Amino acid sequence: MDGSLTINFTKRLKIFFTWSIISAVIVVAFKISKFDIFSLITGFSHSISLIREMFPPNFSRFDKILLVTFETIAIGFWGTVFGILLSLPLGLLSANNISQGLPYLVSKGLINFFRAVPDIMFALIFVTAFGLGPIPGILALSLATVGLLGKFYAEAIESIDKKPVEALESTGSHKLGIIRHAIMPQVFPLFMGYNFYLLDHNIRIAMVLGLVGAGGLGVELFTQMRSFNYQKVSAILIVVILIITLIDRASAKMSKNIIDGNFMSKQNKFINLMLIGIIILVSLISFFFIPFNLSEIFNGIPRILEFLRDLFPPKISEIERYLYLIIETVSMGITGTILAIILSIPLGILAARNITHYRVINIFSRETSNFFRAMPELMFALLFVAAVGLGPFAGVLAIALHTTGFLGKFYCESIENIDKKPLEAIDSTGAKYIQKIRHAVLPQIIPLFNSYNLYLLDRNIRASTVMGVVGAGGIGFELIMSMRVFDYQRALTIILLILITILIIDKISSWLRKKIT
Amino acid sequence: MISLQNITKKFKGDTVLDNICLKIQQGESIAIIGPSGSGKTTLIRTINGFVIPDNGSISIDGKEIKYSDKKNLRQMRKRIGMIYQLFNLVERTSVLENVLAGSLGRYDNGVGLVLSTIGLFSKEEKEKAMELLRFVDIEHKASERVDRLSGGEKQRVAIARALMQNPDILLADEPIANLDPKTSQKIIDLLLKINEEKGITLLCVLHHIDTVKDNFNRVIALKKGKIIFDGKISLLNKTELLSLYEIEESEEFEWMAA
Repeated sequence: MDGSLTINFTKRLKIFFTWSIISAVIVVAFKISKFDIFSLITGFSHSISLIREMFPPNFSRFDKILLVTFETIAIGFWGTVFGILLSLPLGLLSANNISQGLPYLVSKGLINFFRAVPDIMFALIFVTAFGLGPIPGILALSLATVGLLGKFYAEAIESIDKKPVEALESTGSHKLGIIRHAIMPQVFPLFMGYNFYLLDHNIRIAMVLGLVGAGGLGVELFTQMRSFNYQKVSAILIVVILIITLIDRASAKMSKNIIDGNFMSKQNKFINLMLIGIIILVSLISFFFIPFNLSEIFNGIPRILEFLRDLFPPKISEIERYLYLIIETVSMGITGTILAIILSIPLGILAARNITHYRVINIFSRETSNFFRAMPELMFALLFVAAVGLGPFAGVLAIALHTTGFLGKFYCESIENIDKKPLEAIDSTGAKYIQKIRHAVLPQIIPLFNSYNLYLLDRNIRASTVMGVVGAGGIGFELIMSMRVFDYQRALTIILLILITILIIDKISSWLRKKIT
Repeated sequence: MISLQNITKKFKGDTVLDNICLKIQQGESIAIIGPSGSGKTTLIRTINGFVIPDNGSISIDGKEIKYSDKKNLRQMRKRIGMIYQLFNLVERTSVLENVLAGSLGRYDNGVGLVLSTIGLFSKEEKEKAMELLRFVDIEHKASERVDRLSGGEKQRVAIARALMQNPDILLADEPIANLDPKTSQKIIDLLLKINEEKGITLLCVLHHIDTVKDNFNRVIALKKGKIIFDGKISLLNKTELLSLYEIEESEEFEWMAA
């Protein structure tokens, strides 16, 4: 009987070692990112006093805020449009079922490269080449869009039904004809869904590109922050949150309609077309606010070539310091993710309607995570730098809060989608609420949670590479400093280190994800 | 003793249970039969409070179930084990863990609550769980994950979980509807054995009359929420049986015509 009760020794040893390694990594990460209870408590009181200084919000320059808001939406929109135009050919060429050989390898490599580079880094480079303003923002977003959208497109094409393609091939159709008549009809709804997702995503990013001078609300926010006009800062933040929330809801609705195939149905048609109309109208109007000077762009091209030349050879004199900063960056991502997990579990449980039966608590928890998700982490970082000072601690807090918004929502959704049958069975044994959660809910959702957590860990380590742009710790600070003093060879070293780190983390996390499923 | 008095339940205007009165003695084995939609499942679910009747009251050993009092309801549920058509096991966890979950009701305060919530159970509970797994003849799969078991094996695990509660009453809601005939026979035999050896009251909802054996000492037939027969199976005569099935057939006919 004992044989079936106890798991065998080697399995136990394996579990023990895995957990020891995980806890060791977490402890070291917390140490390096300077996170401890004491700084948390003082940080909390400093944040409270900062929030107090932010009230009441000062809307006296509302016209100015409105103008930069227009500019931000325009950057997001045009970045998405150019990104889509670039992604279409690259996505087609990098789908392994319709493309092979050199074009396949080149386009796939380009897409992977664009995905690995953080968007803020593109903006930083383009600001150096084209000067301050919205143009570098649009360019940066276009390239970052290709990294995401190109991959989405290629995956959609790779998973199509081959039968219609074969049928058209048998008619002797030209390759373009096959793409147009057999492939596009299958992937079009998916593509549209991705495009809306990217538009939403890019408008969020456009909000923070200004922190490196690439136009939009971020510029204004950074300026007010530096002159300690916290009441104006809060006015801008309110606008940011409102717009992001609105766009988030609208895009969620539209992509649901597209997936359900009733985007153009009678009751949705009017609203959806109106929403698209509004976005296009705003972007067209805002086009006039953007100094879209063709000569400026042409002047920028030689400058970017010059910049690329100046990058070489990379300077490796301070590599040890950079390596330490890379470790600090990774630690920030880990610490922020762990904190977010701790915060999100109760938030997700309280927001889930099937296990918490108080509407008010559900709504409150849901809106809390919506708020955290709507606030870009670089803005959180900016605020925390003001509250707790420069350094990785501010970055960790920013990552933790923003991630809580994501995880809270993911957790809530996966709890709401659990199989109710075991829950009822445990209920019928006379178990208490907490026992029901432990024995009927947790076993169902833990595997899902783990894959979300890994996904966000990966994402957060990327995010922490750019936290330094606002002084919130990590390698990003060195990057922006070397760009500012035109030491591009040092910048290249840092960029390469960041890219290598991101690639390694990407490999580790996809390996782990395969392991747990 | 379970006593149901004037139980009525309506779902969206349809009367599912119509003024049901019933007395059940400790240790009885009862098969509840009837066509689809006759209220069989609803009837047994009122006994452990998964369905709250609109009218009437249910008492167990003279104590009335107070549906609005959560603590009272939990105390009642501890004494009532339930077995389901789709087994309702917690997938991804082991057979033993599923059976141990049946003991949760005993640990509802203090250290026991904390330990059971963490997932630690005492040695005695584990031994008891193993003993029950031996009783239902699935001991060799104790450390297996439940999603790897067959339907019949899953139902055995679910029965062991219900027995883990030390119940006085066992409710079985179509326990064999998703099993093949041979396995069904074994599960019914197992339930009757539990009733005989442990003296646990058995209320078993079954869809077809041919799965009801002589060993059930009472058969209750429901039709449109009313009890149309209550007694020994040998007393259930052909006309009553035919009327039960005739109505079902004519209902099917009406449905097809509509």
